[in-house]
Amino acid sequence: MTDTQWLRYEVFEKERPDLPHRNAGSVHAPDDEMALENARDVFVRRPNCLNLWVVAANQIFSKTVEELAADSSWQDAPLSETGEMYLVFQKQGQRQAETFVNHVGEVEARSPQEALCKALETFSRENVFVWWVCPARAVTRSEDGDAASLFQPARDKEYRQPNFYRVVTLMHELKASQQEARPLDEDML
Amino acid sequence: MTHEEKLSAFEARIARGEKIEPGDWMPDEYRKQLIRMISQHGHSEIIGMLPEGKYITRAPNLRQKLVLLAKVQDEGGHGQYLYHAAETLGTTREEIVDALLTGKAKYSSVFNYPTLSWTDMGAIGWLVDGAAIMNQTMLAHCSYGPYSRAMVRICTEEGFHKKQGQEMVIRYAKGTPKQKAMMQDSINRWWWPSLMMFGPHDSVSPNSEQLIRWGIKTKTNDELRQEFVNEMVTDLHAVDLSVPDPKLHYDEQAGNWISGEIDWDEFWRVVNGDGPCNKERLAARRKAHDDGLWVREAMAAYAQKK
Amino acid sequence: MNPFTPSALTALVLALADDEMILGHRNSEWTGHAPILEEDIAFSNIAQDEIGHAILWYRVFENLTSRDSDYLVFFREARDFSNVQMMELPKGDWAFTIMRQYLFDAFEMTRLKHLTASSYQPLADAAAKIRTEEIYHYRHTVNWVKRLGLGTEESHRRMQTALDEVWGYALQLFVPLPDEAQLVTEKIFPNSGEVKIEWKAIVLPVLKEARLIIPSTHTPICSSREQHTEHLTTLLAEMQETARLESPDVKW
Repeated sequence: MTDTQWLRYEVFEKERPDLPHRNAGSVHAPDDEMALENARDVFVRRPNCLNLWVVAANQIFSKTVEELAADSSWQDAPLSETGEMYLVFQKQGQRQAETFVNHVGEVEARSPQEALCKALETFSRENVFVWWVCPARAVTRSEDGDAASLFQPARDKEYRQPNFYRVVTLMHELKASQQEARPLDEDML
Repeated sequence: MTHEEKLSAFEARIARGEKIEPGDWMPDEYRKQLIRMISQHGHSEIIGMLPEGKYITRAPNLRQKLVLLAKVQDEGGHGQYLYHAAETLGTTREEIVDALLTGKAKYSSVFNYPTLSWTDMGAIGWLVDGAAIMNQTMLAHCSYGPYSRAMVRICTEEGFHKKQGQEMVIRYAKGTPKQKAMMQDSINRWWWPSLMMFGPHDSVSPNSEQLIRWGIKTKTNDELRQEFVNEMVTDLHAVDLSVPDPKLHYDEQAGNWISGEIDWDEFWRVVNGDGPCNKERLAARRKAHDDGLWVREAMAAYAQKK
Repeated sequence: MNPFTPSALTALVLALADDEMILGHRNSEWTGHAPILEEDIAFSNIAQDEIGHAILWYRVFENLTSRDSDYLVFFREARDFSNVQMMELPKGDWAFTIMRQYLFDAFEMTRLKHLTASSYQPLADAAAKIRTEEIYHYRHTVNWVKRLGLGTEESHRRMQTALDEVWGYALQLFVPLPDEAQLVTEKIFPNSGEVKIEWKAIVLPVLKEARLIIPSTHTPICSSREQHTEHLTTLLAEMQETARLESPDVKW
């Protein structure tokens, strides 16, 4: 049997009620359930997260606008008999950020290629640089009922936050004590 | 479009501040440089878990134990984000891991030095992570989307690493005579390896110009190194710790602390595999990988059965 | 509260704390050495959680006895620790680690459920907090047990070996503490016998699903939390190494 690093899954995080799911990166996992757990352990070490999705990378059909402009032969692809729901994601703008594409909505289609065609017709192309589509059935989602055990523990680990370390005050106090030629306040240490 | 036209369009995008994303056209050289840089960066984080990981089981109190565990965990996380960015360029995680374990890939030499006492954790947090942050802050502006995003995420998380190190250094420098002596000893051993993190002098760095034109680098090695020295020397002196550099002096005119010369023989020896811990680091990673083989196979087999 | 209870209570709380502390320490040994990067990160979360739980219990103990948590962890001798022996065993291979963790997580699921209803409020509060994290631990380790149990012949063999080795030690979790009867009457702590029945109801079906054979022994390896193996001495030598460079009042 060949040794592998398992499958790659793209991870989408919903940080706030008013924000969509956004692509944060990927994790390797042997299956959907472990992918969801690995996503929680790798990406939710710090707040905030309300909900997580994972999708096997090979289920995602992706095109940048540069690719779309260069070549349209990708549109010729076989169609299934029946349609299904596809999720649509876009990279919007060029702002420097931690996350990549955002979930913008759904289309019904008989293939990933048809889904992208429909998405291009349905959603605004303004300031969009990358498009992703994937079948809704390929998405593994965290349950709202599990949110406490999945996401609360990260909030309680304050020692992972920079403001837990009072270095700036310490250095001020140190320099002040030196200038004033007095001993350092021991409690500060 | 001819290759020249494509290259012009590509460089124009970068000049406009646009990110290059997976799927976009890029010169082979850009792809190659990035795979090398990003995977090296990722390997550094993974290997970096080892010298500090050794002290998780030796931390002197509960708070420090948790903090160090979280820090080393972050390093694993950072390696993970970087491996992901490298994968988007067409290499696989299997290839990336293999390159590290067979010794083909390089990683930051600073981790080829041993950790010998608890106070080394302070020195590493403040000096090594401090140096890494300077590099990382620059790389967050990188033209390649996945690398830029990984770096932004890493920069956010890295903030606590440097602060936790600095807090330790200050406390021990002002602590008991034994703590102070240990802390000075740690600084003495980690100072030069930290300076070496910025790489060779600009005059002998072949890739610099192209990397800057392609938005992969924005500052030179020597520029970053000088910034680091200025900040660290001032702060170390503020806590009554000395820097192990007899030639160190202040240039009033330029407003810079001038270092003595780095031991470039040592630098290249360690880069090329002959440092104090090179073999030990790779051996540890190989053992973890080999011991984990049955685990990876079993999990994959179960997934097949479902 | 019956004046007899406080020392029974403090003995209980210390046992809770020491179990989590020693297990958390063993878990942390995997950092940088786990079978795959994602699990390195995941298991390190579990280690942090366990140490966090220990801190919560030590704090309850500190409020009852005024004894400092760091002193308890870094300056006590092995004979004064009250963890069960299962926690101090070396981490072994991944199968052993997962099996030990799973059996403990299942135990926590039932014990914590009772403790959140404890009549001693500080216990109930700590238990509620810990339970949120344990729910995830259980989810994670039960998934690993099933997958490794059923994955390949080798993983199955290793899991069976691990179960055979650790079962007798796991049974020590249900040995009643001295004075437990008092705590049960006061509704501070559940009856160990009851917890054991609930625990078996959780783990037996899971182990069976993983096609693992339950060892036939009913006897715990040891019946006193005061008895320890040599492993604890070695563990403490490393864990206390830095702290003992100076006196307990020195701040690190």
